[in-house]
Amino acid sequence: MPLSISNFKRRLRLPRMFFRKPTREEQIHGGPPLEFERPIPPAPWSGISVVVLVIVTAATLFWELFARSLGYAPTLNDNDDLWALRRRAVEPESIVIIGDSRGWFDVDLDEFQKGLGKRPIQLAAPGSAAFPVLDDLAKDETFHGAIICSFVPMLFFAPPGSPPMERAEKNVKRFHSQTLSQRAGQYLGMWLEEHVAFLKPDDLSLEGLLNKLPIPNRPGARVPPTLPPYFQTEDRERRARMWQKCAEPGSELAKRIQQIWIPLFTPPPPPTYISRDTFMAEMKEEIEKRFAATKAAIEKIRARGGKVVFVRFPYSGGLKELEDKIMPRRQSWDALLQMTRAPGIYCADFPELSGFHCPEWSHLSAGDSVEFSRRLVPHLRQALGM
Amino acid sequence: MLFNSLTFVVFYAVVTTLYWSLSGWNLRKNLLVVASYIFYGAWNPPFAALLFATTAMDFWLGRQIGKAPDRRHKKRWLVASVCMNLSMLGFFKYGNFLLQNFQWLLARVGITYQPPHLDILLPVGISFYTFHSLSYTLDIYRGVLQPTRSLRDFVLAVSFFPQLVAGPIVRAGDFLPQLAHPPRLKANQFLWGLALMTLGLFEKIVLADTLLSGPADRVFGYAGPLVALDSWAGVLAFAGQIFCDFAGYSLTAIGAALTLGFHLKDNFRFPYAAIGFSDFWRRWHISLSTFLRDYLYIPLGGNQVKPPRAAANLVIVMFLGGLWHGAAWTFVVWGLLHGSYLVIERVIRSFSEKKPWAGTFPVRLLAGFATYAAVCVAWVFFRASDFTIASRMLTGMFGGHPNGDMILTTRELLQIGIVTAGLISMHWVMRDDAFETAVTKLPAWAVTAIWTFMACAIVFTQGTSNAFIYFQF
Repeated sequence: MPLSISNFKRRLRLPRMFFRKPTREEQIHGGPPLEFERPIPPAPWSGISVVVLVIVTAATLFWELFARSLGYAPTLNDNDDLWALRRRAVEPESIVIIGDSRGWFDVDLDEFQKGLGKRPIQLAAPGSAAFPVLDDLAKDETFHGAIICSFVPMLFFAPPGSPPMERAEKNVKRFHSQTLSQRAGQYLGMWLEEHVAFLKPDDLSLEGLLNKLPIPNRPGARVPPTLPPYFQTEDRERRARMWQKCAEPGSELAKRIQQIWIPLFTPPPPPTYISRDTFMAEMKEEIEKRFAATKAAIEKIRARGGKVVFVRFPYSGGLKELEDKIMPRRQSWDALLQMTRAPGIYCADFPELSGFHCPEWSHLSAGDSVEFSRRLVPHLRQALGM
Repeated sequence: MLFNSLTFVVFYAVVTTLYWSLSGWNLRKNLLVVASYIFYGAWNPPFAALLFATTAMDFWLGRQIGKAPDRRHKKRWLVASVCMNLSMLGFFKYGNFLLQNFQWLLARVGITYQPPHLDILLPVGISFYTFHSLSYTLDIYRGVLQPTRSLRDFVLAVSFFPQLVAGPIVRAGDFLPQLAHPPRLKANQFLWGLALMTLGLFEKIVLADTLLSGPADRVFGYAGPLVALDSWAGVLAFAGQIFCDFAGYSLTAIGAALTLGFHLKDNFRFPYAAIGFSDFWRRWHISLSTFLRDYLYIPLGGNQVKPPRAAANLVIVMFLGGLWHGAAWTFVVWGLLHGSYLVIERVIRSFSEKKPWAGTFPVRLLAGFATYAAVCVAWVFFRASDFTIASRMLTGMFGGHPNGDMILTTRELLQIGIVTAGLISMHWVMRDDAFETAVTKLPAWAVTAIWTFMACAIVFTQGTSNAFIYFQF
């Protein structure tokens, strides 16, 4: 083949754009014209999507009705975004409730408002340690209000890195880092949770359902203890109320939860990778550090005119025996008050506060929490010098 | 704004409805720019200004490169663009890391220096949008793209919300031409986009967050030695989690873009069925590996140089690829490990390529599993927050802790086993096809059943809006 023809043929194979004037769009954007287009699989997509929509809607409705038939009702779920919204509501002179689930279940905000003259902000959270929140409020230079701190020794002295500390730290972190999008998501989520009963992450989510599978673990496996099922409702102010099904006399749910508290409140065995003595020494050191850090935080708050009062809320049954055995009052409560010089209300010390029964050994029923709060108010007024 | 959040559901519904309701193409593009900046600003509004500043700067530099009379002047402007982008990335992402290493170096020569800890907040997705923007000036310099006249279009190319914060890394040259003509609303394309979004969210919410992340986090967060089963289970869980997390994000982004009429290229192509590491990198985070190939590996000489230099090029590229993922030496080791894998593979290929047994199914299968195992070993460095954890994990995986602890429940072990087996099987079944081809082969009822299953699983899982892993990069 003559060389000239060969070259001509080769030139013909070049992309067309080299032989023509670029279009206006190409002049604007340059580059090759669009060559890539995602393929769309040939299928009756309109029909498929209608069927999918119908089945998903029907399945969701069925699941909702099923959840309601089991006794579940729409209510908010406690999470770090809701906590952050309440933390944002704290003003310099607010009354704030911090600590664990007993401060969360047992306090009625209406009764506190009537008795203390201000509506308190509920920041106590289930299974969490009080210290990270106390420390955060101490670091907040504007805050000089009153703190009512629920005290459960196992949670209050939980070491760094333990679940109670991590839960509280997660809440505090979310308050400081919550984005506009997360805030908007929380408002949308609250609206949904107030209307849909099956939105119960602990019980009715895929993970919650998988957790319920009765699959035995390997002997010797160090697996985390089971957490209690859903047994409370919560509103936008984070006021928790025990589910009536749990508060009924002889409730099966309450009995089940009682048996969950025992392993949950039993200290886990020391890790295998350090000696028992070293571990115990480390724990002792951590507890001493917690005493000292609590004292420092309270002094900081007091220096600004703020006040802190500790409350040991009612607890009963086998859990009371266990808690009192693991951390006797003298070593925990008495030592804390002595070191911090903060006032404290140990409910068992007062006849009007000690006669309450905790259905699942750890918290008051919704009805009892109102009466209990009413009776607690005079003690709080006295402790806070109001 | 996270794809797996209620905020995004509302945002996406509003933006998509408005977008297709508007008739003017310019109006639609303006809407996408505003929506993209709202999407980004919902994390931290001031960083939206930073995003705009770098974009505007690259727009201007791109024009300068285009106008420059000769190669020398073009190079000068390109260097300015590269320096601007990389210094921004360096300051926000590597500032503290560099200071710490500087302190360590000084300490080695006996100088005590306490650097101030810079309280730098990392702008989300900075590594991605820097590369989006940088591809523009690089391509203009390479002569494959002409500078655009429209700042608005370039702003949209960099900030287009589906791919803005975690990829795929969409090059300006792939996106800008799509802004020339308004796309038309096509029902099948829109619905296929929704199906891709469902699959992406299923991978993220159900597989990554619900079934895999918990065990992976507990294993890598455990302070003591673990037996081999738990160590491997943790690593396999992470291998599955990072794929489902990142591929899930990419698919959601591709689907969302498609519903708006834009075409983004694949970012993953069944990587756990890769046979060899070069094959793995043709299937994993394709937009990053091709970016590094075109803008770094080939300019370094690629494989058109002597074998030792080509090997060094591979290691350099993977070293930088590792560092791109995060400011920590563990990421560097992960990158170097992959660089070494690629070099070893080349050596093995040079011996075995023409052997008749090399292409047989058992050998390919074996090579595939060896690749997967080696990739999992490398994931240990990617996931571990320090070398102590990485070393403890590797010792556990290779039987060094026969009396170590067992921390996973039987249910979690089963979960990891089932998801991993399912994932790898799917990758092997579809490894030679495009995803769309695999869907084409299915009957309509099967497509309906799978889509329904995934949508129901998302609804019933009640995910908790966990951030995507790649957001931190």
